[in-house]
Amino acid sequence: MIVTTLKPLDEILESISPYRRILIAGCDGCTQPPRGIREAKTLKQLLELAGQLKGQEFEFKVTSVVKQCDSVLTTSAIKPYVADVEAVLSLACGAGPQTVAEFFPDLPVIPAQNSHFIGIDNRQEDQMFDGCSACGDCILALTGGICPVTRCSKGLLNGACGGASNGKCELDPERDCGWELIYERLKRLGRLDLIKKFTPAKDYSAKGWRVTP
Amino acid sequence: MGAILSQPAAEAKAAVNINEDYCSRCSICASLCPYDAITQDHDNNIMILDIEKCQVCGICYSACPAKAIDTIYYSCGSVLSYLEKIRPQYKSDTLVIMCKGSAPDFSEVGRLFGVKKFIPLAVPCVGRISEEVLLGVTAAGVKKINILACDEDYCRFHRGSPLTGRRVIALNRMLEQLGYGPEAITLKRNSLKVTVDKDLCIACGTCVAYCPYDAPKLESVGGISFDLDACRGCGLCVALCPAFALDLENWERARISDLIPKLLAEMKPPKILVFRCQWADYPPLNGDMSPNIGTIELPCAGRVEAIHVLEALQNGADGVMVVACSEDDCKQEGVSAKSEKVVARIKEKLAQIGLGDKLGFSAVSPRYPGQVEAAVRQFCQSLEGAKKGAAE
Repeated sequence: MIVTTLKPLDEILESISPYRRILIAGCDGCTQPPRGIREAKTLKQLLELAGQLKGQEFEFKVTSVVKQCDSVLTTSAIKPYVADVEAVLSLACGAGPQTVAEFFPDLPVIPAQNSHFIGIDNRQEDQMFDGCSACGDCILALTGGICPVTRCSKGLLNGACGGASNGKCELDPERDCGWELIYERLKRLGRLDLIKKFTPAKDYSAKGWRVTP
Repeated sequence: MGAILSQPAAEAKAAVNINEDYCSRCSICASLCPYDAITQDHDNNIMILDIEKCQVCGICYSACPAKAIDTIYYSCGSVLSYLEKIRPQYKSDTLVIMCKGSAPDFSEVGRLFGVKKFIPLAVPCVGRISEEVLLGVTAAGVKKINILACDEDYCRFHRGSPLTGRRVIALNRMLEQLGYGPEAITLKRNSLKVTVDKDLCIACGTCVAYCPYDAPKLESVGGISFDLDACRGCGLCVALCPAFALDLENWERARISDLIPKLLAEMKPPKILVFRCQWADYPPLNGDMSPNIGTIELPCAGRVEAIHVLEALQNGADGVMVVACSEDDCKQEGVSAKSEKVVARIKEKLAQIGLGDKLGFSAVSPRYPGQVEAAVRQFCQSLEGAKKGAAE
């Protein structure tokens, strides 16, 4: 999933301050929990309370889009509000506001979220971890299902570097060494032969900027 | 501040006590206690109550043949005199005794028994209502007693509902012999559970992640479904569902939203709205409520949702408090601890707009009466402190 966090409310208030009539648009898509209609309504209430304290009045409308990165779904969800609002405050990841901007060129759009990464949701630990760097050329088959591009701090394609101690990365003692995880997993799977396989430097042009599905 | 706020902190006096002088050592209390809080000390020939294990259900009190157990809450005498006092205002010969866990809404309960006018008595677990109370109100002229218990496997005190079932059978036989007809006391059971609006569900799996009972199931085809036998009605999933697709019977979102402005309109400043787990504190039957404090009882602190806290502040509450059971006393699987996290998240957001002080959280137990009052008092002091700090 895409992992996002709510921006500081001060920053949001600053960004929306030129506008009065604002549509808060949630997204039911990838985040966990989704920043859907509940988040939109809660944000509305928080901003109204903050507005009261600062003497600024807002008129919010709230809605949620099934997937704000989908041009068709977003267009149809936002269109009914366009005549009534001066700006859209988006609760989606970075792709959501850009979809709004792309298809509603005259409507200012403001992000309410900071987007962090494509993450793994460990609900037992109530933590989300960076899981995928969207490099465009997946090598998980060679690395026991653990991504070195993402989970190794140095993004080494051939590891380990030798700097880890007690399984933790030399750059961040809180963080597991990605290559040690890969080694342990391959050992468990009886596939340590794979670790000897050399992976050449990645062709990052494969990442691309446009894809036709 | 109202009277309740200006009283000194109550001594930590236990809510249940065994009076050794009256105790006949029959050990019925020990055999009925759902929490093994009472044990028999054979060497010293006494019954020992471990108050830290006690959940104050009142079952031992209601069953002690020697009247050797005292409780601060809903004693036989206080229930009878309370009923005598309130009876005229209801102009009815029908009494409905209900477990709070199954009956937040009196009119729904009336519908369940097919009665419009009745004297309502809501207690935490009907298992604490002894034969003496039931016979006492019959002697005082109540013609019909209806009892609403939780489903047996849903009883938060495990043995309260089954015990009441046995009690009603025995009493009905006795009352019939005395000429009161075949069913002087009617017992019904229900449990309040989650409801799902599949049209609103966005299949995100939040309920699956948070339910302590594995009641929700989410499948790629077919979407969400709930095993209602597993659901214990804590309301955590309802409070967190990102799509408002879930609700809780009798504790619906809209019902709580309606209640908030109504309560606040009746209160005097400084207005403190308390969202309290109904198992965390047992308010006195006819206690004078402080005009500063309004309370919304919930099935569990897990039912507290951000929009209600914010609605309270938007409707003029000077402070909002969430009162939960302590982690060890939670009648649900660890939901109390989860609710603390939920409240902390709301508080963190409020802090960003300078309102963090207006939300308080406290975990208490009815084991030592007065804890809620003390917690609210402390919260009020911190509110005043914050106000002064802001003025300087």
